[in-house]
Amino acid sequence: MSQLAAAKPMSTRAKSWLRMRAIARRHAYVLVRSPHRLFDVSLWPLVDVLLFGSLAAFVGTSGSTPAAKASGYLLAGIVLWHVIYQSQIAMSTGLLEETWTRNLLNLMVTPLREVEYLGGVALFGMVKLVIGVGVMVLGALTFFSFHTWSLGFGLVPIVAVLLIVGWAISLFVMGLVLRFGTGAEALAWGVMFVLLPLSGVFYPTKALPALMRPLALALPTTHAFTALRSLVDHRGTDWSQLTIAAAGSAAMLGLSMWFLVAMLRTFRKRGYITRYT
Amino acid sequence: MLEARGLVKDYRRDRAVDGVDLVVRAGERVALLGPNGAGKTTTLLMILGVVSPDEGAVTICGFDLARHRSQAAECVGFAAGYLPLTERMRVREYLRLYAQLYGIADPHPLIDEGLERFRIADLASAMGTELSSGQRTLIGIVRATLHRPRLLVLDEPTASLDPDVAQRVRGGLLDLCDRDGTAMLMTSHDMSDVIQVCERVVFLSHGRIVADGPPEAVASAYGRGDLEGVFLHLAERHEPTGAQQSDHP
Repeated sequence: MSQLAAAKPMSTRAKSWLRMRAIARRHAYVLVRSPHRLFDVSLWPLVDVLLFGSLAAFVGTSGSTPAAKASGYLLAGIVLWHVIYQSQIAMSTGLLEETWTRNLLNLMVTPLREVEYLGGVALFGMVKLVIGVGVMVLGALTFFSFHTWSLGFGLVPIVAVLLIVGWAISLFVMGLVLRFGTGAEALAWGVMFVLLPLSGVFYPTKALPALMRPLALALPTTHAFTALRSLVDHRGTDWSQLTIAAAGSAAMLGLSMWFLVAMLRTFRKRGYITRYT
Repeated sequence: MLEARGLVKDYRRDRAVDGVDLVVRAGERVALLGPNGAGKTTTLLMILGVVSPDEGAVTICGFDLARHRSQAAECVGFAAGYLPLTERMRVREYLRLYAQLYGIADPHPLIDEGLERFRIADLASAMGTELSSGQRTLIGIVRATLHRPRLLVLDEPTASLDPDVAQRVRGGLLDLCDRDGTAMLMTSHDMSDVIQVCERVVFLSHGRIVADGPPEAVASAYGRGDLEGVFLHLAERHEPTGAQQSDHP
């Protein structure tokens, strides 16, 4: 009797989990065997923490209360910003990797479901996130005696909201890549540079030009970072801001999923796979 | 095993596939032939569920592809001479990845068996980038057959292979089909592939099926001595001349 016939049949759920782990492992090989990609989770987070930590130290020397606050905002902001950055980049580059290496057709002919693929790259993204943010937390502690975890359990919901926003952006970028090809990859990075100033990662949004403030307030990230500053200022968890952020991030995720499904349908309809064969 | 009915696909500039009906029964080995641009690859991509047809439907192993793509894909293996190996992986890691995508939790005995069938067991620990294009094609075929598919779809499987390696591929495929009763649908521009492996040929021209039957019967229907003659005849007719010509014998 063949091995396959002898094997115990797997449930659909077990198969899905097996496929997700397989995809996560595939991307882990890419990371480990491309030293320059390890910079994403080691060197660049460290550079960011050194840059913003040094700025925080410089600002903090003035001794004024606002300056002391600003130094906390800078360090906490950059550490939490990397939650969005790492989760977004890990997922977006997951799909981009398949397009760069013309591997998309190999995957699309297998029983792998789209949701399983996303689960796999998200799983791998979580590993990158833990490593990248871990490096920052340790860097902030070592170089600037900044205890990220001293902000308390209020960080957990903020991290969850930022994670969801990161995933939502990556789904949107994936949809654009499927529709417009790898030319859309610049957005994978570019969109973050738009979001960074508008979200008030390092400052309250009242510091933004008045014209920009309504746009900033429409972003769930703005409310998440406002809640973060509440923790930095020892004012406890700002549940009202967190509720707005959670609702906004859920809506963003729903819209991005809808967009990705629509773009995937177009991809199949117009035969765009031939771009990658 | 495979039932494709009324497949139509329009791309922006023209109709790539125009009402293709194709049935492949269990254990049957079928060649899908035709000149470049005849619609072979588009037909295969629709059968694989990667391109959605504008009209028509595909059923594989009883699963409607439009509704149950994942279940249908479990019955199918696909390899193409032009497909790369997934980068930055060793051959065994690569084969393990795809075996797991097909739901095989412990694929190592199947990987050993597959590599052995095509006499490339020595490549198991090689990196994909170290392989020649012929070796990559062989690994792709091993990958496509790991899960013992009921339907094997091959697009130009021997395109970049030396004659001896191509012969090894044909032998391995025939062995697999005989042992497991696997059905096969393949495209090829190499008529020796077709004659040695396939018992039925389907010729496409301008997106339509113009001949379907055993190789000798198709050749004689066109008044040609062999399939090569039929192919050349259709390729000539396929040239854009501005005038509509009949592709039928």
